[in-house]
Amino acid sequence: MRRMVTAALALLFVVGLLPALAPAPAAAQERVVKIAGTGAMSGVIRGFGVNSKAVFDMVVDEVNAAGGIKLADGTRAKIATTWLDERCNAEEGISVVRKLASEDWLVLIGPTCSNVAEPLFGILQRKVGDAGDSGLQFPIFTDTAIKPGLAKISEWAFRNVPHEPTMYTHLFKWLKEKHPDLKTVYGGVEKDFAHSNSNRGTMDAAAKAAGFEVMGWEEWLLADTEFSTQIGKMRRAKPDIVAISAHPFTTCGVLREMKRQGVKPKLMVGLTSTATLETMAGCGPEAEGLIIPSGFAPVTPEAKRVADIVAKKYKGNVDLHSAAVFENVLVLKRVIETSGVEAKPGTLQKDRQRVREGLAKVKEFDGLLGKVKRTEDRESVKPYVFAVAKNSDWAVLFDPR
Amino acid sequence: MSLLTLFGFRILLGLSAYVVILTGQISMAQAGFYALGAYTAATATAIWGWPIVPAILLGGLVGGLFGFLVGFPALRVRGLFLVIATLAFTEIVRMVFLNLKYTIRVGDRTIGPAAAEGFRGITYYYENGWSALQIMAFTWLFVLAVLAGFWLMDRSRAGAVLRAVGEDELAAASVGINLTAAKVAAMAAGGLVAGLAGALYAHYATYLSQEEFGALLATFAIAYPLVGGTGSVAGPIAGVLFFSLLIDGLRFLGDWRNLLFGVLIIAMMNLRPHGIIDVGLVRRLRALLHLRRERAYAGD
Amino acid sequence: MTDLALDVVQQLLNGFLFGSSYALIGIGFTMIFGVMDKFNLAFGVTALAGAYTALLVLHLTQGPLALLFPVAVAAAGLVGLVVELVCFRWMPRDYPLAPLMATVGMLFFIDEVIVHGTHGRPMAFPAPMGEVMMDVGPWLLRGDLGFMFLVSLGVMGILWTLVYKTRLGLATRSVSQQPVAAQLCGISLVRVNAAVFVITGMIGGVAGVLIGSAVGALSPLLSLPLTVKGLVTAVLGGLGSIPGAIVGGLLLGIVEYEALYFFGIGYRDMVTYLLLFVFLVFRPGGLFGQTRH
Repeated sequence: MRRMVTAALALLFVVGLLPALAPAPAAAQERVVKIAGTGAMSGVIRGFGVNSKAVFDMVVDEVNAAGGIKLADGTRAKIATTWLDERCNAEEGISVVRKLASEDWLVLIGPTCSNVAEPLFGILQRKVGDAGDSGLQFPIFTDTAIKPGLAKISEWAFRNVPHEPTMYTHLFKWLKEKHPDLKTVYGGVEKDFAHSNSNRGTMDAAAKAAGFEVMGWEEWLLADTEFSTQIGKMRRAKPDIVAISAHPFTTCGVLREMKRQGVKPKLMVGLTSTATLETMAGCGPEAEGLIIPSGFAPVTPEAKRVADIVAKKYKGNVDLHSAAVFENVLVLKRVIETSGVEAKPGTLQKDRQRVREGLAKVKEFDGLLGKVKRTEDRESVKPYVFAVAKNSDWAVLFDPR
Repeated sequence: MSLLTLFGFRILLGLSAYVVILTGQISMAQAGFYALGAYTAATATAIWGWPIVPAILLGGLVGGLFGFLVGFPALRVRGLFLVIATLAFTEIVRMVFLNLKYTIRVGDRTIGPAAAEGFRGITYYYENGWSALQIMAFTWLFVLAVLAGFWLMDRSRAGAVLRAVGEDELAAASVGINLTAAKVAAMAAGGLVAGLAGALYAHYATYLSQEEFGALLATFAIAYPLVGGTGSVAGPIAGVLFFSLLIDGLRFLGDWRNLLFGVLIIAMMNLRPHGIIDVGLVRRLRALLHLRRERAYAGD
Repeated sequence: MTDLALDVVQQLLNGFLFGSSYALIGIGFTMIFGVMDKFNLAFGVTALAGAYTALLVLHLTQGPLALLFPVAVAAAGLVGLVVELVCFRWMPRDYPLAPLMATVGMLFFIDEVIVHGTHGRPMAFPAPMGEVMMDVGPWLLRGDLGFMFLVSLGVMGILWTLVYKTRLGLATRSVSQQPVAAQLCGISLVRVNAAVFVITGMIGGVAGVLIGSAVGALSPLLSLPLTVKGLVTAVLGGLGSIPGAIVGGLLLGIVEYEALYFFGIGYRDMVTYLLLFVFLVFRPGGLFGQTRH
């Protein structure tokens, strides 16, 4: 018995090793454009990766069904893909990207987590053409990792994520106009999560710029479950607006504690990443009235169409993060077609450079919600809407487009 | 190549837990030493502008110093109590780095530990044009040095002393072994090696964030030697290979990979409770070698 | 009274009440570690698995809330049995590190099952007492946490009766103290071990439901903190001491809340762990512990 299990285990091991050892399959006769994706497919962030992958599969199938991508010599190539799990772990993310870069992948979409994106961009070449810099020369076009200011780490890093400072500045200004009687804001932040923590500064500055008085910030940690101390202080301060910079799990806990202690601000503002179905599944009733700027809502025919297909056929949700995958693939298609990518064996490094230059040249493209502008430091300025939680779903509160 | 470099950090981390386990103690402090080594060495190159070798060594020394310091109070604590006490140390270190802010500006970039934002800009390797091969070779230089050191120690009196303490403290003390010295030395050596591993990792990753250095990393550090076996220095290596090949080799299973991960650990422990390369296997292998060489008595 | 004094007392009460969740999970750890002398790191996640199963059954059957407890208790008891079967039964008894590692594998496995089942999203958990607040003078107390405290006392009572007043308890104690002698007296090791794991699993089920309902949601994010805090509680109280686990849990809660109040969130865990480290160095057996461990 024991011996059999050992044998089975050994067999499994060998089978597991095979793909690692076997040489990459020889390039097929048909030309392909190889686009890789990475996202968190395990752990608590798995939901994000699952959605991104669903949208990735959907858009690639659509492009391929429509004939694929036109290469420099006029032939049409299909997109070939892979999707790897980065586990929201820096070490694993780096090993995934190094592996992809050492194979014949043209460009990467991803990752999910900002704490993975940061070292990924860090191992890329900082300035193009710097011979003394041995960083990877591999374009990455990020869909989800949203912590502000990351793409400037490397000229090979591109992102298409909502620009939080713009959105929050506008949101607080709009709130001030709509509710001139509201004066005070009290904030709450999940301190040990990079994105939430950097958004605290964004919210704070935006609220002050709009003329609100920020009464203070309460802090908690990602895995905390009890918030009576922090909410107790909010209760005493009686703020008009409560701004929460945290992900769904603690946001829900905080909202529940507010209800329990009878903290009833006139308005509540939340973090971009909370404008997802997770929050609704976790605490729909308590979130009622929560306002969040979001880079996606099914408000255009195209956005509706994509959201429907992804939900029905690919079992994923299109939200502010995963919607970017759709746009990224279409932008890449355009860039590949216009920058002379050859996709021949031997032109890989040149093709990667062409994609990089092409991406850097894009000044504007049509996103799901409308025109997306590109900035000098390789980030997007995306159209957005203000969403509000209503009857355990997200509704559009205001559409500034 | 990148995988080999990663193996390097993991093997060092596994070895650092291995030397402590030899004395019969389970320490969750390795993740803390690793973090200390990483932040120290990164600060040395990125902020103070040190060359790489002294920076890495400094990382190791700081890890070793803290290992030494933790070793003394931890002497009084045993078994599960020690696990918790050392876990407390790791969490304290993590919390220090959650609060530590010490940054400089270089051009338009902010470099250094920025509290919850993490430590950005540890780009020594790339700024100096190191290739992936060079990074790998540099990492393995340290791995091989530590391996050689531990292998020699294992065959010397020091190794026997550590194992004796691990087998039976009372018996060891009664034959005149200084328990305090043995345990503190093991802890300091473990801290040194974990510090080196962290220092190397920091430069490979270019970015550090405190959440990487928690209980999970500490668990893996002890999992490498426990699954791989504590029979010889090859044990932690076997453990690292086991885990790494599981993680990367089973990718083709897609979503099933992570489910299988836990199941395989359980299966492995049932099949080889003392690890892949345990004391028994080492003894048998040695016996086999002896048999060939001198056709001598092949006991057990 | 000044605001400061009011707050300090409020924190004391909050910590005391929240500490009862630590106590409840700590009891399970201390039972397996201390009474049976076995290292089981999968206990926290066993409790979580029970709560998740109960939630699933509730969704599927649309049954009454009262269903939560029996389902969670049964499911967690079953998981406890599985843990015993795959992580302990075939392991060498003189090498505790092997089953320890196997339970770590179990922890990863159950965690990933949960992540796959829910995509890692937090799931709302029914909290019938979630908004019950008690006004005690100038202080506010959470009703559900108060209930949790009473339950942990109840569980302690039941366990005490079980361990000291029944034949099973006698067998358990004899197995943990003298396994060979116990076997010679005709006690079946396998049966006693399995029984202890099922019973602690069932306690885990109760704890899982109460914690889920106090948090208001279940998430795989809970598993690591539950495990770590449960271990800390068991060790603080002294392994094997059930009253120790309760006192340890409450004490841990109070220290955390006062540290949060005085030092802020960034230093809360640092202060707590520093005190724990120092405490263990000066009292290596925990509050109520013997020194045999």
